[in-house]
Amino acid sequence: MEKILDKKRIDDWIAALDNWDIQGPVLEDDIWSYQPVSGAVRLDHPNTKQSPKGLAFPQREIFFKFEQIKGEAPRLTQVVPDEQRHAVFGVRPCDGRGVPRMDLVFNDHVEDNYYQARRKNVAYVGLACNKPPSANCFCLSVGGSPVSTDGLDVQMTDLGDRYFVKAITETGKGLMAAAGKLFAEPSAADQKQVKQVHAEAVAYPQRAVRNVEEVPAKLKASFKSPLWQELAQACIGCGICTFLCPTCHCFDINDEVQSKAPLKGIRVRTWDNCQFPDFTMHSSGHNPRENTGARLRQRVAHKFQYFPENFGMPQCTGCGRCISECPVGIDIINVVNKVAENAA
Amino acid sequence: MINIQDIRETARDMLTKGEVRAVIGYRRGSRGMLAEPTFITSAEQADELVWDPTCFHNLSLYLVHDRKFLAHIRKNAEAPVAIVAKGCDARSIVVLMQEHYFKREDVYIIGVSCEGTGVLDERKLAKHLNGAQASNVAFDGGDFVFTTAEGEKRLPAREVMADRCLECRIPFPREHNIVFGEDKTGRQLEAPFAALTRFEAQGTGARWDFWSHHFDRCIRCFACRSVCPMCYCDECVVDSITFPVTTETTAEDKANRIRWIERSAVRSENITYLMTRAMHLAGRCTDCGECERACPVNVPIRLLNNKMEREAREQFGFEPGASIGGPSLVASFLDRDPGDFIR
Repeated sequence: MEKILDKKRIDDWIAALDNWDIQGPVLEDDIWSYQPVSGAVRLDHPNTKQSPKGLAFPQREIFFKFEQIKGEAPRLTQVVPDEQRHAVFGVRPCDGRGVPRMDLVFNDHVEDNYYQARRKNVAYVGLACNKPPSANCFCLSVGGSPVSTDGLDVQMTDLGDRYFVKAITETGKGLMAAAGKLFAEPSAADQKQVKQVHAEAVAYPQRAVRNVEEVPAKLKASFKSPLWQELAQACIGCGICTFLCPTCHCFDINDEVQSKAPLKGIRVRTWDNCQFPDFTMHSSGHNPRENTGARLRQRVAHKFQYFPENFGMPQCTGCGRCISECPVGIDIINVVNKVAENAA
Repeated sequence: MINIQDIRETARDMLTKGEVRAVIGYRRGSRGMLAEPTFITSAEQADELVWDPTCFHNLSLYLVHDRKFLAHIRKNAEAPVAIVAKGCDARSIVVLMQEHYFKREDVYIIGVSCEGTGVLDERKLAKHLNGAQASNVAFDGGDFVFTTAEGEKRLPAREVMADRCLECRIPFPREHNIVFGEDKTGRQLEAPFAALTRFEAQGTGARWDFWSHHFDRCIRCFACRSVCPMCYCDECVVDSITFPVTTETTAEDKANRIRWIERSAVRSENITYLMTRAMHLAGRCTDCGECERACPVNVPIRLLNNKMEREAREQFGFEPGASIGGPSLVASFLDRDPGDFIR
């Protein structure tokens, strides 16, 4: 389904999506983030600071509540994600491509009920990048594209005063059908323009990871390379790169005790991060990833070696957030290229 | 004006003579015009070094890393490490020495004066550039001059300098082995604590709303802690990683270990984390502003640290990092202290 939407009517489309919580890019405190929007949606954002992964995989998820009165059996109450449907508008193609990668992780071997319960209620309405929104974009070199529809339910393309809107999935068709009257049939000129805009988007120069299909073998051969520590020397071990990443999915599970007598608390899943020094700390005090080099290697090899080995594709989608936001200049493009270049 | 060749020559000379193990400085990174930390160990690398208004980083953090690494491999330092340090960075080094983290002879301080320019604030700059990318920056004495694809863009220092630099009282590394650039102390563009004063002009309700909003936004990536040279504790109050486990330790002991702050990034835990950190930095924070710069979601952390700094200044005339032999705020007292409990 391909349609044309007058830019001025996007708010009417959103208004027609009752029963959906609409999330759109909002500029607040000088940063863009996805927030609930009612009425006007702005789609003039570069990319948001954080990817929309939190809608299906929130930073904090309560699994269950526990309670025990002394002498009695413990009582557990499962906390089930609510059934609210969310439609996220303005999702960039790199973040769209993050979605199937997260799906693979939370569906492989074991189905993660909490993830699936949220995920099935999220629809991603993408916005093609007519021009790379960041100087550190590199989607083309990791198998993506500024006009990729992977992971999206709807793809919108900005054609100046109107959007070219294409349904990718059945969910996407449903979103468009909810406001059928607003959409017009694209003319031959519209079709021609969208092709041209997409061709220009793809031709726009970007930074690049070189020969990504050869990278897994090269990283595998470089496990013991001294380059890792050299490239990670400035790393401060914070969680910016992974918390902003559209595909990082590591988590920790803790019991948060709210009262000791009677015993009362919650079991909570929170995002975790392989760059924290305590991520792999054993209770013996031994840390198998004892330095920033080993930890950087884990982050990079997970995306460019282990994930391709397991699922046949890089996990990185080239959004460039980890590069732009690193306070000390750790640059994943450089790291991959340098290690691969120096591989035995 | 600082001639970068002087800094490079100093580094090259010391590395050639083996007087230092390494030089921690700045080099051009791979992200446009931005500088990044570098660790050079041979004289040939000296030409990498740069000095410009994107040298934000407080490199004294890496002296802490070095110290921790040496302790980990149970070795003593064979020679000092040289470090390029701005005024605030040098004061951090002094605080670390006051706290006996390392000795004066372990460090060779290559001081660089900010000469009234300070460093840029990337966020302010991004707003002015409106999507354009700058490939170079220079300071001509009044304005910053940026090279962009659309041509040269001039911006007054006041518009794009980091707040802490606008308010900096001493933009000169008084503690140094060698220093480049003129001491232009006393020429700051804003009064000390100007941002804090503006903030405090609001009523209590507005301030509480402001902080509630920001404490809710913290994502607990710990960049503020990780980038801070003063946050060197082996076990931070938020981590509880060194809980000793023996064969006698029961599951219940593990479950009941003290956790001051839970992992959940929610207001109550975020407040405890950020406020505890601010308290632990009282008298130690030299306002290098790295915590606020590193924060990916723009929590104005500097205001918290500034508040403690001003408190110590007004109550005790305390200046953090003033001199190595000088007192530290929490490990000393005045015999004219008005509080009975301390005398």
